[in-house]
Amino acid sequence: MKISKEKFGQSFDALTAEYQVVAPVSEAGAVNFKTAKSFSEVKQDYLNSKLPPKSLLFPQHEKLLSYVKEGKDITVKNELKVGKTVLFGIRPCDAKAMLLLDKVFKNDQYRDPYYFDRRDNTVIIGLACNKIAPTCFCSSMGISPACSEGSDLLLIDLGDSYNVEVITEKGKELLASLGELSELSAQEQALVDTVKSAQTTSKVDVSTITAKLDKMFDNSYWDTLHEKCLGCNACSFSCPTCHCFDISEEVIKSEGSRVRTWDACMAPLFTLHGSGHNPRDKKKSRWRQRMMHKFNYFVHNNGDIACVGCGRCIKGCPVNMDIRQAIDGVNKAEVVVD
Amino acid sequence: MNSIIDDIRAAARQLLADGKVDVVIGYEKGSLPLKSTPCFVRSPQDADKLIWDETCENNLATYAAQTAGKKAIIAKGCDSRALMVLLQENQLVRDDLYIIGVSCPGVIDKNKIEAETGEIIEATITDGKVSVKGIACDKEYNFADVKDATCQTCRYPNPVIVDLKIGGSVEVPQSDFADVIALENKSDAERKAYFKEQMSKCIRCYACRNACPMCYCQECFVDCNAPKWLTGGVDSAENLLFQTGRALHLAGRCVECGACSRACPQGVDIRALSRKVNKDVKEMYNHESGISEDIKPALNVYSADDPEEFLVKE
Amino acid sequence: MEQNPYLPITMKLIKNMCETEDKLINTFTLQFQNKQDEENFKYMPGQFAELSAYGHGEAPFGIATSPTEPGIIKFSVAKVGCVSNALHLMEEGTMVGVRGPMGNYYPMEEFKGKNLVIIGGGFAFTTLRSMAVYMLDEKHRADYGDITVIYGARNPGLLLYKEELAEWETNPNINLVTTIDRPAEGWTKHVGFIPTITEQVAPSSVNTYAVVCGPPAMIKYTLPVLEKLGFPPERIYTSLEMRMKCGLGICGRCNIGPKYVCKDGPVFSMAQLKELPSEY
Repeated sequence: MKISKEKFGQSFDALTAEYQVVAPVSEAGAVNFKTAKSFSEVKQDYLNSKLPPKSLLFPQHEKLLSYVKEGKDITVKNELKVGKTVLFGIRPCDAKAMLLLDKVFKNDQYRDPYYFDRRDNTVIIGLACNKIAPTCFCSSMGISPACSEGSDLLLIDLGDSYNVEVITEKGKELLASLGELSELSAQEQALVDTVKSAQTTSKVDVSTITAKLDKMFDNSYWDTLHEKCLGCNACSFSCPTCHCFDISEEVIKSEGSRVRTWDACMAPLFTLHGSGHNPRDKKKSRWRQRMMHKFNYFVHNNGDIACVGCGRCIKGCPVNMDIRQAIDGVNKAEVVVD
Repeated sequence: MNSIIDDIRAAARQLLADGKVDVVIGYEKGSLPLKSTPCFVRSPQDADKLIWDETCENNLATYAAQTAGKKAIIAKGCDSRALMVLLQENQLVRDDLYIIGVSCPGVIDKNKIEAETGEIIEATITDGKVSVKGIACDKEYNFADVKDATCQTCRYPNPVIVDLKIGGSVEVPQSDFADVIALENKSDAERKAYFKEQMSKCIRCYACRNACPMCYCQECFVDCNAPKWLTGGVDSAENLLFQTGRALHLAGRCVECGACSRACPQGVDIRALSRKVNKDVKEMYNHESGISEDIKPALNVYSADDPEEFLVKE
Repeated sequence: MEQNPYLPITMKLIKNMCETEDKLINTFTLQFQNKQDEENFKYMPGQFAELSAYGHGEAPFGIATSPTEPGIIKFSVAKVGCVSNALHLMEEGTMVGVRGPMGNYYPMEEFKGKNLVIIGGGFAFTTLRSMAVYMLDEKHRADYGDITVIYGARNPGLLLYKEELAEWETNPNINLVTTIDRPAEGWTKHVGFIPTITEQVAPSSVNTYAVVCGPPAMIKYTLPVLEKLGFPPERIYTSLEMRMKCGLGICGRCNIGPKYVCKDGPVFSMAQLKELPSEY
């Protein structure tokens, strides 16, 4: 079934009254997810956003609470605020990444209310990829350019209209406010089939990586892998699944707030103890952590690899550290099995 | 170019075979079109990985201090200037360093190309032409048109300190501070708007700082929590504070390699700030950093005839 | 409404006492401000909490009191960073924030019917004190066998909880052995490093658990001694320290392999640690 872009655009504009509608928008030379006031602002033919949409649920800088100190007394205010959001046009890799983030922000003991109150109030309209970038390798990560996992509705761009697929109840509810659907022509059906069967050209083999990494903590592979890494956070901040954060205080006189900000395992300060001891004091151990966390620890804890093959870290790296090569290196490493 | 590559490889092979160095830091072919990647060659047989072309954009001096042992470094003009300043600032031991100098034709600004062609699928560089197959379109460029902005104003493409020079010299382009003057001539509001937009893109990943050979502080002011100079906020104002703080700390030290701007995954015009500082340093102190062993860093010298009033005079 | 695990409860600092002669460790006594808060703060020995010095930040510290001591909780904190410095300087009566209790705890159920040897070094004695006090409580003492405490510091002035130690000296329910690294004037008890003293005075490993906390070097050299004395890794427990922020197993920094020290620890048996990478 399809909906015309004209009709969809009108509904989109109407939705902005009730929802915060976030969509790919071109700004300062890059396409990123921002609040859109009208469908005309939306950049539909983008490959993928420069930064992942994770910041919608997990902002780079977020107030957790605020307080006022008066003498010895303190008044603390919860800064949890929630609004209804429609997230339009996210790619299947990023939609899948949100399912992975769900597993981080809720564990066997705790649920993060800042993340989930946004998450639960967000409807995700995924947009399949008609074009595939050479750095995309989602097909190797169990996703595909038209994968519906993580989306509530999945659209496929047919030119003048969108093919619409309802994935969840939430999606079904939203669809009701979008407008009339009509049948696809044979030609359009063929295009849908093409997009759905598409695969990324770039591929990696992760079939045995988790088991292999189980035995690789002390492997000499880590001795050189990290060498050219500058230790910046470009990869982590552009990764849709990286989620590590810092909590710090921002204070002006007697008023302050506690904020959380993105942090990353590449920074030496990330694990530095107050005593000066640092369990991951070398770049070597930090790169091992990055690989282990994504391809081993995360799998043990959550059953999934924490990489969706979006390729952003490859494009963003100033020294061309390529995670595909790092994966390949693990595959090729010699492991002593006891 | 090819003979330069052969000579680089031969030199690396010889240095490693003779045990003169433990590692040669150079470039190898990267995983993306028009992208090289730094590499660390430790055995003579690996020397054939080394390449040299217009994609060798990283400043390898950044790795000098953090790499143990005796090292040879492939140095363009700007890399050599960085090594010079690092030596002057006692960050490197001269005897542990072997500088293989190569004159630099300038490096490619991949972002400029991709802004038109979309993500690059394939590309070749031959005879001053860059042919690109992009996801949006195919296009051929004259190298001069897609040369990195830094290289267009570079006055030191030929290495200033070498142990071995490979290949000939390149012509030094005429350059003034026209780009800075253009920015200076803008109104306050225009300049403010420009930096506001640029800084809005910064995600504080610190790729610029980490790519910079001069940013070697054990504790960067942005990481300091007592006092806390700036917050983790990522708005334009906080980002500008970080970027200006960094630019000022590089006053009289910046070697204009442009590694910061090229490292930036967000395409922030970081150089706009450092270029302005460099122009001021040139005008006030007639100083350019890292161009001669005899010239001490501008802000690190004491002179009794310093014109500043605060200086105690006899 | 569901509890927001990032929101601290407010507690009053009712006592800020210097604990050691080097003036680097203070013990803070915090008082619950209402029944509900105390009710929600059900903890066990070995757990920690995130302590907020508003205006400075938040940091995790082991709880030094035992759940058998109602109305208050105590922390003994070394002055090392921004938050601990602020706490040290804090006036009594000031309101602070507390999130917790967090993490797992010493397996007090598993310890039932067993002898315990508690080995502590330096200021890492806080949660060990909690455990000892818990077991000494009249409701619990009968659940456990012999309790031996081996506690050492560089010099006598650096031992924590000196009054309590003096009381334990004469308490028939607990066997206390204190030691200092080098001889000091007026010190009549043991002199020597923890591993050596442990070898001399530790009880039989039969039906006994060992709990060890202290600086990494002390732990490193004490473990082989315990092994030599016949303690299997399943019966040696320790509590680990890590840089932490959220305390909820989310922020990602305190992991050892796939385990988060804040959520899955901080208490681990040596058998569990042997299964994890040695990255701590």
